[in-house]
Amino acid sequence: MTQKEEAWIGLFLGVPILVIPSAVAVFIAYDKGLSFAPVLMFTGTVIWGGLLWLLPYIQRQFSKDKKKIIFDERDRLIHKRAVMASYVALWIYFVAACVITWCIVGPNGSISVNVMPLTLVGGLVLFNCVQSLASFIQYRRGAEDGAR
Amino acid sequence: MAHDELKNQIRRLRFEHGEMTQQQLADKVSVTRQTIIAIEAGKYAPSLPLAFRIAHAFDVGIEEVFQYDNNFRASGD
Repeated sequence: MTQKEEAWIGLFLGVPILVIPSAVAVFIAYDKGLSFAPVLMFTGTVIWGGLLWLLPYIQRQFSKDKKKIIFDERDRLIHKRAVMASYVALWIYFVAACVITWCIVGPNGSISVNVMPLTLVGGLVLFNCVQSLASFIQYRRGAEDGAR
Repeated sequence: MAHDELKNQIRRLRFEHGEMTQQQLADKVSVTRQTIIAIEAGKYAPSLPLAFRIAHAFDVGIEEVFQYDNNFRASGD
């Protein structure tokens, strides 16, 4: 599995894998009124996310051609830039979440603590999406021609 | 990121070395074929160790594989 394929998987499989259990958990939480549901939701999301990130390593363990180079210095550079872009997006998201909340509820307002894990889940999804998109854009730009 | 200032002769050297494929060169220098494609197309500037490994794969000096375009620098200043 190449890094480009991993980026695609991260984008098109990772997001539903993260979003669907989270959405189901949120629905259950608000429907049943379970106070511990956000914690379970966050734990479940982290487990699903962890399994997703383990996928390339598991795939490589069962790969027939283990000696084949699938990650080199260019992949490392692209990955580094993608992570940097993700952190920038995460910071903007965090600032926006704080400012928008302040604007909505006002300086003397209050919000439910359930918003906290939801914000973290949102950040996780955003980080994953931006990293995948940034990786994909860089791979596409760097290998448009010359293939033979 | 385009690296127009760095020219290379990898394609010519590959054909001069028994029409070596990009995959064969990639295996020799321990990178992916996509990286060789990007370097050949001038879209990626390799690290110095990788540049040396490519030169060694062809048994030539590094300056025979990669050339720096001085005119690019002059016009960029």
